[in-house]
Amino acid sequence: MRGFFQSSGIVAGQEWADAFRSRRALVLLVLYFVGALAATLLFIKVLHQVENQVESAVGISQSRQAGASTSALWRSHAFREGLIKLAGDDALARDLLTLPPLALFYGWLSFAFTPLLVILLSSARIAEEVWSGSVRFAMFRVSRGSWVFGKLTGQAAQLLVALLASGAAAWAMGWWRLAGFDPVANALVILLFALKAWVYAFAWLGVALAVSQLLTSPTLASVFGLIALMALAAVSGLAAAFTGPGWRSALDLVRMLTPGGHEADLWRLDTAHAVPAVLFLLALGLAYTAAGYARFGRRDL
Amino acid sequence: MTAPALELCGVVKRYGRLTALDGLDLTVPRGALFGLVGSNGAGKTTAMALSVGLLRGHAGSVNLFGEGPFDPLRHAGRVTLLPQDARLPLHARVGELLGWYAALQGLPPHEAESAVEEALEWVHLADRRLAPVRTLSHGMMRRVTIAQAFLGRPELVLLDEPMSGLDPREAARVRRILRRRRDAQTVVISSHDLRELETLCDTAAFVEHGRRVRQDSMETLTCRGRTLLYHIRGPAPLAELRVACPEVGWISSPDGGRLTAQLAPDGPAAESVNARALPVLLRAGAGVLEIRRGASLESEYLAATRDPAAAVEGGAAELEPPPLRAIEKGNGWST
Repeated sequence: MRGFFQSSGIVAGQEWADAFRSRRALVLLVLYFVGALAATLLFIKVLHQVENQVESAVGISQSRQAGASTSALWRSHAFREGLIKLAGDDALARDLLTLPPLALFYGWLSFAFTPLLVILLSSARIAEEVWSGSVRFAMFRVSRGSWVFGKLTGQAAQLLVALLASGAAAWAMGWWRLAGFDPVANALVILLFALKAWVYAFAWLGVALAVSQLLTSPTLASVFGLIALMALAAVSGLAAAFTGPGWRSALDLVRMLTPGGHEADLWRLDTAHAVPAVLFLLALGLAYTAAGYARFGRRDL
Repeated sequence: MTAPALELCGVVKRYGRLTALDGLDLTVPRGALFGLVGSNGAGKTTAMALSVGLLRGHAGSVNLFGEGPFDPLRHAGRVTLLPQDARLPLHARVGELLGWYAALQGLPPHEAESAVEEALEWVHLADRRLAPVRTLSHGMMRRVTIAQAFLGRPELVLLDEPMSGLDPREAARVRRILRRRRDAQTVVISSHDLRELETLCDTAAFVEHGRRVRQDSMETLTCRGRTLLYHIRGPAPLAELRVACPEVGWISSPDGGRLTAQLAPDGPAAESVNARALPVLLRAGAGVLEIRRGASLESEYLAATRDPAAAVEGGAAELEPPPLRAIEKGNGWST
């Protein structure tokens, strides 16, 4: 008799095969790769325009390629001090200023949009199999727990590939269009942010699969996935805004239970902040999935 | 003593206010081809889904092979289901999908490969192994769902309306496959085609309103072993028949078109009765149109579910002999 993880591996493998056959993988890659490519190109263009305006204002000749002035600016002491004061978090700002601007942009892009894409693409995944009845061909061959865990790991693996592809797109665009582009430093930092974005997205994947396990209609699952995304983002934001001494310190705990509550720690480069955040987010992803499974494990299929 | 393949005791299943199973009892012996008969909404599909753990019951117990209710750790690969309305994943290729199901139920890769080949041969779809499911016709998809139910030769196969959507040639092929499964596997077939169940199954249960109305061997249900039914033209020569076959109870329908021979359990064989009765009938000018052993499953089902009017007068049943219990109660039949 196969074990839990072996069965999950078979389900995850089928999740991959189905993603390719159904062209879901293609959609995923297009959204992430082309999206990152387009967003990075837009970023470079805007950066070039800003640089040209600054160059005009100070009366120097305009650069033909984006990035030259930014590299100089990034190294200037006055700019760094100004930015540190603006960020309000000296340690974080000093950390970020050691990173290439394009990699920072990629980090922002992946953290900002991946949760939305995860919710949009994964919320209906289990619900649509329950809806079509195809789940009924599998559920007498494998335990429900292995099946759901296989779906989670299969989706998470697809997400990792999509994020790495988006990182490659951003890197390629920077290499082609940015002056003074350091390919190695950018590649390493982009890879680091892709992995961190994956960990962050894993928690959101847990939310998406939890919603998907609760509902039968794929449309409703997508809608409720978006509602859950907005609700958790709002809870995280409000908890951060209203936390304080006394009973309000409980809001910190509430915030810890949302993926957004750990996002800032992922931006930090020191392991003292990043490692607990990574562990917490992975646990949150599993916990959200398990919360959905509490219902899915007992429901009629 | 070997435990039954499947045993349902007092199973209750409700969907909101609707009670789908209302204390259903069912015992499926090992190696049986078991027919499950009932009207729409009687609870057949629910009973099957509940047996493999797709549904959760509200009361009662399900026992598979005497080992308790369905547990994927114990029963994956030993029990399979052909669900009635479930749709296969449309983007998958036929062979790949069956291979995945085989792997999922625990077959090692080399066995899975041969199991898929065998199952596809059975349903005559070996040439569509690489075809995406979405390119198949409805009937072909149905055959793939039948193939998945027999992957790896499970001990218990539950088939919910297996012939639905199959053309006559494929339906005959599936019937042959099912007959070959007799004794090797336990197969439960839910169908509205009672003639089909009558020829295929050795045991059947009638289910109505979520309860078992009757369960018995096909032999007993249709009285095959102790009744001969003659469809004749012209009046039955009852007096001459009683002389020719005195050990047989002869009963004629009110219109004279149907004649029933009730054989004693220790009496003569059907062949012997025919050898003596047919010359008498032919001499008397009663044209013999049809002879069959026992009543039809349909008439017995209609009688058991308390719709004798439909059994005697309704549509196709008009050509059928009335339920045996109706004969035994008189109802205008002369003896």
